[in-house]
Amino acid sequence: MNVNDVATILPELLLVLAGGFVVLADAFVPLIKPRLSLLAGSSVLAALALRWLVPLPGSVWLGALQIDPLARFVDSYVLVALFLVVSMAGPYLERTGANRGEFFALLLWASVGAMTMAKSNQLLVIFVGLELLSISLYVLNAFHNTSAVSLEAGWKYLVVGAFSAAILLFGVALVYGATGTLSLDALATTAPQLAVVGSPLLLAGLALILAGLAFKLALVPFHAWAADVYQGSPTPVTAFLSVVPKGAALVVLARVAAFAIPLAATARWTTLLAIVAVASMTLGNLVAIAQRDIKRMLAYSGIAHMGYALVGIVAFGYDGVAGVLVYLAAYTLMNIAAFAVVSAFSEGEDEPHLLTDLAGQGWLRPVLSGALAVAMFSLAGIPPTVGFVAKFLVFRSAVLNGLVWLAVVGVLNSLISVFFYVRVVYYLYMKPLPRRAPRYGEPWSVRVVAALCALGIVLLGILPGWVLGAAETAARSLAR
Amino acid sequence: MTDQGYLLSAITLTPGAVALLLLLTSREATRLHRWAGLGASLVSLGLAAVAWLRFDPANPSFQLAEVHSWLPSVGVSYRLGIDGISLILVLLTTLLQPLVFISSWHSIKERVKGYVVAMLLLETGMVGAFLATDLFLFYVFWELMLVPMYFLIGVWGGERRIYAAVKFVLFTLAGSLLMLVGIIYLSWLYRAQAGVWSFAYEDIRRLVIPMGDGFMSSPQMLLFAAFALAFAIKVPVFPLHTWLPDAHVEAPTGGSIILAGVLLKLGTFGLLRFNRALFPDAWERSTPLFMTLAVIAIIYGALVSWAQKDMKKLVAYSSVSHMGFIVLGIFAGTVASTQGAMIQMINHGLSTGALFMLVGVIYDRRHTRLIEDYGGLAAVMPVYTAAFLLTTLASIGLPGLNGFVGEFLILVGSFSVAPIATVLAASGIVLGAVYMLSLVQRVFWNPLTNPENQSLPDMTWQEVVAFAPLAVFMVWIGVHPTTFLSISEAAVQRLIGG
Repeated sequence: MNVNDVATILPELLLVLAGGFVVLADAFVPLIKPRLSLLAGSSVLAALALRWLVPLPGSVWLGALQIDPLARFVDSYVLVALFLVVSMAGPYLERTGANRGEFFALLLWASVGAMTMAKSNQLLVIFVGLELLSISLYVLNAFHNTSAVSLEAGWKYLVVGAFSAAILLFGVALVYGATGTLSLDALATTAPQLAVVGSPLLLAGLALILAGLAFKLALVPFHAWAADVYQGSPTPVTAFLSVVPKGAALVVLARVAAFAIPLAATARWTTLLAIVAVASMTLGNLVAIAQRDIKRMLAYSGIAHMGYALVGIVAFGYDGVAGVLVYLAAYTLMNIAAFAVVSAFSEGEDEPHLLTDLAGQGWLRPVLSGALAVAMFSLAGIPPTVGFVAKFLVFRSAVLNGLVWLAVVGVLNSLISVFFYVRVVYYLYMKPLPRRAPRYGEPWSVRVVAALCALGIVLLGILPGWVLGAAETAARSLAR
Repeated sequence: MTDQGYLLSAITLTPGAVALLLLLTSREATRLHRWAGLGASLVSLGLAAVAWLRFDPANPSFQLAEVHSWLPSVGVSYRLGIDGISLILVLLTTLLQPLVFISSWHSIKERVKGYVVAMLLLETGMVGAFLATDLFLFYVFWELMLVPMYFLIGVWGGERRIYAAVKFVLFTLAGSLLMLVGIIYLSWLYRAQAGVWSFAYEDIRRLVIPMGDGFMSSPQMLLFAAFALAFAIKVPVFPLHTWLPDAHVEAPTGGSIILAGVLLKLGTFGLLRFNRALFPDAWERSTPLFMTLAVIAIIYGALVSWAQKDMKKLVAYSSVSHMGFIVLGIFAGTVASTQGAMIQMINHGLSTGALFMLVGVIYDRRHTRLIEDYGGLAAVMPVYTAAFLLTTLASIGLPGLNGFVGEFLILVGSFSVAPIATVLAASGIVLGAVYMLSLVQRVFWNPLTNPENQSLPDMTWQEVVAFAPLAVFMVWIGVHPTTFLSISEAAVQRLIGG
């Protein structure tokens, strides 16, 4: 360990310190209260800049972290998502009377957990990152500590999270027992020469690691928590929860797959993941149709989307991982736009966020409604949006790897999903306005977040070149 | 193909770019929106006319081509090109669009901005789909049409607009999503055979696609099916037509004109451009099936039209019948029948577009489309009667007007290949005359009994201006079809020849 090693984790250090600073400033400098989200937001931007300034030396901290283009891609993804969430959270917290420094500090720390997890090169460090992420989120889910639904969300996420962490840890232990190492590098290079390839102990360990990650990704059959947690959590937290942990878990899954496939015999791995992917998209989409609460609908839509994204990992290869990374970028923009708007249109935090609340808003509040409509069409995968590009890339990777049937199942699922995404647009633009004024105004920061996301969705849909280029560079760093 | 300027991009993207600019304007400025919509579509029309002048009809391949790199690592590029087949359809599209704006000048009063924006985005999608010579780009433009049409039906439509709009979206996507998998598979096949990634039409055309014996084991049959499903839904080929009456009837007049005039042609265009050219063996094997379905559509569509009480529904079902002729012509596969199908695509665009426009004229005055509510209109609306009669005669194939040329060529060209189907199809012409003339009889000639009809104002000058160009082309094609047949001849020869 040396000074250069410290330089590689400067963004994380900055966020940890900024989190502490926000809490202390809130406690001792009352004047700063209205500026908390500004403070947190600017530290996020600074961390993002740092990530692009510091070099990418590869393996650092005695092989515990892998600072490669993939790590930089995920960090950028987490930080952009975090910045958008922090920006939309400011007015939300004012409105709900919960504007406290801890909220921002926990968001920053959760992000540090996600970033650590995704760049970790060692199974135990993955676990540490995961725990930092999860524990921060338990508190955030229950941040409205007088609201029953929020407490319920926090409690559910805590139970499920602790359970899945234990499963993951058990899997790590089994893998260690089978191979004698925790390092992903060693697992990829030396373990295949051992006589453990395909051994029951190793397979059980890998299956448990997969299950632990599947909990975080809300993949079927580990999805049951999603709807209640999404619905009960404060909306900015839901937005964060729906993109950041999932992105980090998918990248960990890609890193695990890179060593697991040679160890676990490809066919078995592919079959297992393909079944999970198909089950997630089908169940997610079918159940989403029945939802009347938008946050619950987006929870099931999220289950389906992780199913699509998983297709890129089933068809493991450089194309597939690049597709998954583009998918993450797309998914972030779409989901944050959706949650930002849903929060602005809501009737209050403890109230359900009903589809009917959107009736006729399209003609009354053009910016937010336009952003929500764009996000819905993008989630449905209709061009020219980045959601289409992302789906095209993962389905393409399936076809290139001889899994045409998986691509066909994927597009048929897209067709099912169109039904409920388009229904949101129907409420926005084709339902008459109910006779009541909107409960809340539109703070400019929410408008900016929604408009930025919508613009990003369309621009990246028309010119996906640079995000695809970055994703390809990142995916290549998985090849050893 | 070398890069030759930006003319095709300009035709395609001008309406879309204006639409995006209009999004930034105040919704109160309805005069601005109407004029901007008309202006942008006229610019597109003018540029399409320039393309016609610069087009060399003797050259069968793509002209005025544009190639730009888009996603090189995947093999996707931005490629536009025009041949005789697409030129003729682009001219139709860009001609109809300004007429739609003129005809809806007064009938669309609410949410004018949204209407104009949706129409212009739709135009970009339609023209782009005709001009794209990269399969990925084609797919993007193809799907781009979906969202504006959803809004046009769902916001400005009739009573059952939501049902119709959702049905339209789901039917269209059901077809096109499998086509997307087909497109990806083709690019993979090209990579396997040529060693590089490409989605370019001219590259994919050179592919040798394996043709097995069965269906599920034959890549070419499966690909053919994936593409054909998308296009057959759009045409629509019987029995996939059930979305059409709903969408056409519920859409506002302008939307119906574009749906019938252009969107349906994208189906037959796609069958020719992709299924015929890329999968020749599968095409041959599927011909009997499609010819049978075409004949069923011709007769069934005509019979159902005859039974309608609602004028707009009658015109909608007549589209099923007329599109059946076009499908018959392209699957018969001779030069004459295919040329006939090309000219019939234009004819149907002109006459059905005109019929929807004219039904809209009367609907704006009386707010009913039931045939029984009318009668004797010839006495109070002479100009309108003349316009309707001309369109009817063109639609049923009176010699000297456009419909005759197309139907005659299709029947002549098909007879040598499939005599029975042709004879049955010819009966559809008789049925066409029956339902159209009985419509005219009931609306215009029967006694003027309903007092509400006694003081109906005749067509306004805007309505006449919107209709007149259509009338000019109906007569022009009828009297001198060579002007238009010569545009597509070389491209059709190339397609048929292999």
